[in-house]
Amino acid sequence: MHYPWWYVPFLTSPMLIAIISVLHVLVSHYAVGGGFFLVVETRYAYRTKNADYLNYLKQHAWFFILITVVYGAITGVGIWWTIGLASPLATETLIHNFVFGWAIEYVAFILEIVAAFIFFYYWGRLKEKTHIAIGWIYAWAAWFSLFVITAITAFMLNTGAWHDNRGFWTGFFNPQLIPQVLARTGGAFLLASLYVYLHASFKARDRALRDLIESRSARPALWGALMIVVGGVWWYLALPESARTALAAASVLNVLMVFIFALTVAIFVMLYLGPYRNPGWFTPGFTILIFLSGVAAVTTGEYIREAVRKPYIIYNTVLGNQILPEEIPALRLSGYLEGGVWTRALVSRDYPSAVSGTSIDEAVLLALPEADQRRLGAVLFQYHCNDCHAIEAGYSPIGYMTRGWTFEMIRSVVEHPERAHFFMPPWAGTKEEAILLTKYLADIAPAHPAGMYYGSGEGRRP
Amino acid sequence: MNPSTLIAPSSPIGLPAPFWFLVLFKLIGFTLHMTMMHLWYAGPILGLILWARGGNPRKFVRRLMSQMPIIIALGINFGIVPLLFIQVAYHKAFYPSTILMAWPWMSVILLLTFAYYGIYIYSTALKADISRFPPLTRAAGWVSAVFFIIIGFIFANEFSLMTNLDAWSRIWSANNVDGAVLGLALNISDPTFWPRWLLMFGMALMTVSAYIAIDCGFLGRKMEADYRKWATGFAYKPYLVGLVWYGAAAAWYMFGAWPDDLRTLIFSASWLPLTILTAVTPVIVAAILIATSRKEAMSPRLAVVVGIMQFLVLAFNAVSRQVVQNAELGRYFDVTAEQVKTQWSPMILFLVLFVIGVGIIIWMLRQLTIAKQEQAA
Repeated sequence: MHYPWWYVPFLTSPMLIAIISVLHVLVSHYAVGGGFFLVVETRYAYRTKNADYLNYLKQHAWFFILITVVYGAITGVGIWWTIGLASPLATETLIHNFVFGWAIEYVAFILEIVAAFIFFYYWGRLKEKTHIAIGWIYAWAAWFSLFVITAITAFMLNTGAWHDNRGFWTGFFNPQLIPQVLARTGGAFLLASLYVYLHASFKARDRALRDLIESRSARPALWGALMIVVGGVWWYLALPESARTALAAASVLNVLMVFIFALTVAIFVMLYLGPYRNPGWFTPGFTILIFLSGVAAVTTGEYIREAVRKPYIIYNTVLGNQILPEEIPALRLSGYLEGGVWTRALVSRDYPSAVSGTSIDEAVLLALPEADQRRLGAVLFQYHCNDCHAIEAGYSPIGYMTRGWTFEMIRSVVEHPERAHFFMPPWAGTKEEAILLTKYLADIAPAHPAGMYYGSGEGRRP
Repeated sequence: MNPSTLIAPSSPIGLPAPFWFLVLFKLIGFTLHMTMMHLWYAGPILGLILWARGGNPRKFVRRLMSQMPIIIALGINFGIVPLLFIQVAYHKAFYPSTILMAWPWMSVILLLTFAYYGIYIYSTALKADISRFPPLTRAAGWVSAVFFIIIGFIFANEFSLMTNLDAWSRIWSANNVDGAVLGLALNISDPTFWPRWLLMFGMALMTVSAYIAIDCGFLGRKMEADYRKWATGFAYKPYLVGLVWYGAAAAWYMFGAWPDDLRTLIFSASWLPLTILTAVTPVIVAAILIATSRKEAMSPRLAVVVGIMQFLVLAFNAVSRQVVQNAELGRYFDVTAEQVKTQWSPMILFLVLFVIGVGIIIWMLRQLTIAKQEQAA
């Protein structure tokens, strides 16, 4: 509302954030866990004077750099790009509160990059002790960046006492911080081991070396899986009531929640029976299977984490449709079209007769020809609803949801969406604007499916 | 439509630090980013051209491209710093302009991914075997070089659109669905866009040329005398080309595309010293490179001087750009008019960690020097 809304057909623009974020998270966790893997195992290989293992670790470090420093860094920037485009007000809010958090995180990033390159490019040229020290600098800098960014994403889910003083630290140390850091650290260890298995199953030819890699990486992976479960349960307990209820009420989330825990347990069992107890199972097929299971678990976890925040982008602070909750009462009086910077400009440009100074007279809008009223309804839909709903096809399309609804049914939900579904934001416009939106939605809603028999009248023949 | 009506309200949270502090770090980050970005912006193209000349030019290409993955990694991360601070201090102009050209802006991520991996393919092949250089590998280099230029094109579009509020309404009217932005626009009809885009390439060529001399004086000290003589004598040539390019584009930008008020501003008594420094420092670097071109090799001390001077070229340019950006936006709204609620403890923690981080990096680099000395011994 403060900013122009970006219309992405079919997907809706916020879904681009989800796509880029998942692509990033799958690598960023490896960037953390993989750092610990490399330094711990290199130290072990130095100590045991295992030249084969050292050779393998150097190969893995190259793979690690190609994946994390290139792809991980660029998709990280990609998240900045997409959140600014699809959630500008939420991004503005977060960055005004946490810019120094991000600045601190970028100090860690620079350390990571310098350390990662030195660790790889000066392999064999540094003293062992120095090489390991640089490995530790990388690993802890990477974990520290995870800690800082998790504080900010955790804040989005539960702002805690931040509204009392709007202080940086109150927001930073929110109730979701520790559980999410625990789960993400576990995820980092688990995913890193899965990446190692995948890489080693193709690159480590020697059987004894493969067995060693398997057994050495099984333990952190198992611990990681346990940390995910403990962090996950704690995460659930630290959810605001609305998020916990959303999790219980939405059948999709219900199923996914069970799925993620089942998957984590399945991975745990596979790790325990496979690499930990029976290293011989270690084949490319097995590692691909377990890797994809890990990817599925992480992706599902991220989806759930995003979905339960509804109707907020930042809990109790910024709503999904890019308005601040405290703006709603005024918008209900003056109108959503008038309150929005770009919607007001549109009405001023296209319907100047309805505008007096900066005020819009909604009664005049209701006297416009029907086509114009529907057009204004479409504008309201874009700026009020399109963040969660595609139009007629795609992600949660409104056309399908209102199929067969009467005008009054639609109007009732438009005027009180939060009563129909508590995870929807409340209507933030006037009654006249609700009629405009209803006219548009009624126009695009398809008819009730034909041929359905309800015990009387026609039916049973499509 | 009055463009000022499209400006978002101020954030109720307020600025977390005084405006000057945010702008200072934006400028530091942008200058650091430019230092690296220039090398990948003009470096691959210059490298591909020099490659055809064989001999010493080829050795330089090999050196530059082997360092390029690290340069890109650092440059991308330095770029995040100005991106952070621009979103805090200039959110009212930054977000709408990016949304108006959302798809081209998003495409930067895809282009950068391909360009970066292309550089890896190119540099790995160069490192592996200089005699075998398959056409596909060379193609990867060209693709990267072209993609970096396209990324520059998109950035020039965005940052010219950010201050060209008069175009917002027109672009929005032509690219929307029910008032929602389609995000397909570019800002190429803006008269400031073309010289602005070209200007950056000229500067990038200058930075790469300065890098030839700096590399020769520092990292390439162990290279054979013939190569060092070539590098010392060659650096000024592309620098002069870049300088002429930069000068022509800057003249076009200032005298052909700017409205009178901007010219009046930068030639006013307050900003004239900065304008002169921005214009003169590249000439000084060129003079140093020419003066040293007959030497056998660039000395480390001179390399430091060239490095500092070129950094100043970029820093003065960044500050001048900032002055112009503020003036351009100032036509529509007061960029400084946001309440300030300074977050003292996070700010101090950031500064402390920043210093510690720099200290750790210096320690790591020191370890490399020690390792090299031990190997040499």
